[in-house]
Amino acid sequence: MIGFLSDLGSWFVENWDGTGGYLNRLWEHIQVSGASVLFSAGIAVPLGAWLGHTGKGGFAVVSLVNVGRALPSFGIVALALPITIRIADRVPFIDSGLGFFPTFVALVALALPPIFTNTYAGIRAVDPDTIEAARGMGITEPRILREIEVPVASPIILAGIRTSAVQVVATAPLGALVAYGGLGRYIIDGFAIQDNIQIVAGALLVALLSVLTELFFAAVERRVVPRPLRRDVRHPSRPEAGRAVAR
Amino acid sequence: MPILLAQVEDSFFRWDWVFDHLDDIWEKVVEHLVLTGIALGVGLAISLALSIVALRWRRTYAPITWTTGALYTIPSLALFAFFVPITGFTTLTAEIGLVSYTLLILIRNIVAGIDGVDPAIREAALGMGYGRRRLFLEIELPLALPVIIAGLRIAAVTTIGLVTVTALIGQGGVGFFILRGLNRFFSTEIVLGTGLSVLLAVIVDLALLFAERALTPWSRRRRIA
Amino acid sequence: MRSFARTRVVGAALVVLALIATACGSGDDSTEGPTIKVGSTNFGEQEILGEIYATVLEANGYSVERMFQLGTREVVNPALKSGEIDMLAEYTGTLLTFEGGTSSTDSEQTWDDLNAVLEGLGLAALDYSPAQDKNGIVVAGEIADELDLEKVSDLAAYNGELVFGGPPECPNREFCLIGLEEVYGLSFAEFKPLDVGGPLTVAALEGGEIDVGLLFTSDGVIAAKGFVLLEDDLNLQPAENIVPVVRQEIIDAYGDDFVDLINEVSEAITTAELQELNKRFGLDAEDADALATEWLTENDFID
Repeated sequence: MIGFLSDLGSWFVENWDGTGGYLNRLWEHIQVSGASVLFSAGIAVPLGAWLGHTGKGGFAVVSLVNVGRALPSFGIVALALPITIRIADRVPFIDSGLGFFPTFVALVALALPPIFTNTYAGIRAVDPDTIEAARGMGITEPRILREIEVPVASPIILAGIRTSAVQVVATAPLGALVAYGGLGRYIIDGFAIQDNIQIVAGALLVALLSVLTELFFAAVERRVVPRPLRRDVRHPSRPEAGRAVAR
Repeated sequence: MPILLAQVEDSFFRWDWVFDHLDDIWEKVVEHLVLTGIALGVGLAISLALSIVALRWRRTYAPITWTTGALYTIPSLALFAFFVPITGFTTLTAEIGLVSYTLLILIRNIVAGIDGVDPAIREAALGMGYGRRRLFLEIELPLALPVIIAGLRIAAVTTIGLVTVTALIGQGGVGFFILRGLNRFFSTEIVLGTGLSVLLAVIVDLALLFAERALTPWSRRRRIA
Repeated sequence: MRSFARTRVVGAALVVLALIATACGSGDDSTEGPTIKVGSTNFGEQEILGEIYATVLEANGYSVERMFQLGTREVVNPALKSGEIDMLAEYTGTLLTFEGGTSSTDSEQTWDDLNAVLEGLGLAALDYSPAQDKNGIVVAGEIADELDLEKVSDLAAYNGELVFGGPPECPNREFCLIGLEEVYGLSFAEFKPLDVGGPLTVAALEGGEIDVGLLFTSDGVIAAKGFVLLEDDLNLQPAENIVPVVRQEIIDAYGDDFVDLINEVSEAITTAELQELNKRFGLDAEDADALATEWLTENDFID
């Protein structure tokens, strides 16, 4: 046990640099995770918000939750490969169907459902009276959506993005199966040569990154969500906020 | 020969291949369901035990959720890969990982479900002379069933997806097709494996939903009313 | 009381019937003994070879369990040593080096040395096949023309410029990166971990993401995709005859009939045939067991 831990320690001391070093692999991991979450959010938040506002598509949302959770990440990553290879063949500015592209496509597919359903649910949950009042005051629909519904729903929307991000970080290791780098390389390559130190190091780094992602989004929440709505702050208008938030 | 190559490579999904291999497919589906069933069964048993501990001694709830939560953040591939040199290419290795991932959600839901039982009912039962054990088994557990099954559904769907990853350590269920399709240019197998996994998850999810309806007739009456 | 007695009679009858059934079931063509667990590592040729041996054993009445696509040699070799699998198709040169010996291009010598090492491990390499499968250093056709590459040593002229792609375990393998660096003095700009001579390596070669790739000399893909197999002019790759490695206990349990059967099969496999089978498995998506059965039938091992 002590031997294992000291070997693990040496691994961390020795392997920080170069293409195969963990600083680079961490960066690769963050790149593909960040890109997929941003891209997903860019699609899912406007779509979920608009559908939530108009009230249509409830059935689609429910199905999406179920199907989304049922998607096997291994399958999706593997499936992305023949698709991205075909696309890369035909589209001139994408030069590789391997590595980043299939990993990105798969992670976007996995990130969409939680962000979409949370946005939809959050917008739907906004007090209808508030919206009626706004309409009565003559505020246009898009403005209602942008300036009232989204801010009010922002805690829930952000929670969806956060859940999605943590899931993406935990799933991105599978990208190593389609020639991507990232922290998954340590797990896959470590398994290939039966090097448990590498596997554990890789797993630890992924766990660390998950925790950092959670902390990052907690910080984002503090910045973005209007103060009266924040769950970690007590405010006279919302005495129930700030109590121990069960995660 | 070149014509054959073009045919296989260009068609994304070949139904004829699927129909030729129905036996193999069935075998893998069964293997998949068995792996899932064992994981859920053992997971539920362990979770019930730990939940009882957590409910009885509240202080243990935080460390229990912390440990199971930590297990949950370990990437599944790493967990399986790590145990291979210790427990070999066996169902046990796969199950160690699969069971670990069910614990967090099941314990959380069991505890939340029991906690959610109306205190008035508990009071009434105790007043009527129910002992702690009978209270738990005959009142609290049945009333908590909807929340527990909700957790079981999530655990089931997650487990079915995770079973595909065990293909990388020689198990796999329908994940076997995904792995083989990936190892040789054969998208049909990948689509098949992925599709079957989704299908199984949806079916099991619905089955558990029906089980919930069947086991909690009292909630049906409330719904109609 | 009466119904109880009846149950006992029925029970006894069932037991007797079961015993008769078992006795009848194990007819003349079944061979008594431990189940032979045939394993394979994680690429197509391994599954095909595994199926060939497994199928011919089954056809001769042995009880067989298949455990295929388990992983790399680092993963499967311990399984063979610990008894989790009983039989594995291996490659003389690489296995000998893996077990700490020194291999050469002499097939017979390598095989003898291998058996000497395996004896102490409770394993035995049965007769080796004329078919060989060596690591093949491959470049895409266009690059071979452009950089005028025919032999592996030609790559030294481009040290530090080219990207090399291969299986993740390549940097650890003497006949892979280690050998290329030490024997040929090559240095690459980058190593990309891909897969074991599979679609990722092929796609990377085709798409130009790697300049040089590791495939296998018995791969059907090389010819099909117009890749150029560079000549191993400094003889880095040793003899890599296909050889079935079996646990001694299985050999002891079954004796000469078993050994002779396996040896006959191994002797009949040729590199050319293996290439054809590999191509059909990898590119035409045919099944390993169907291919194995077809090969065994054509070679008169089964009807």
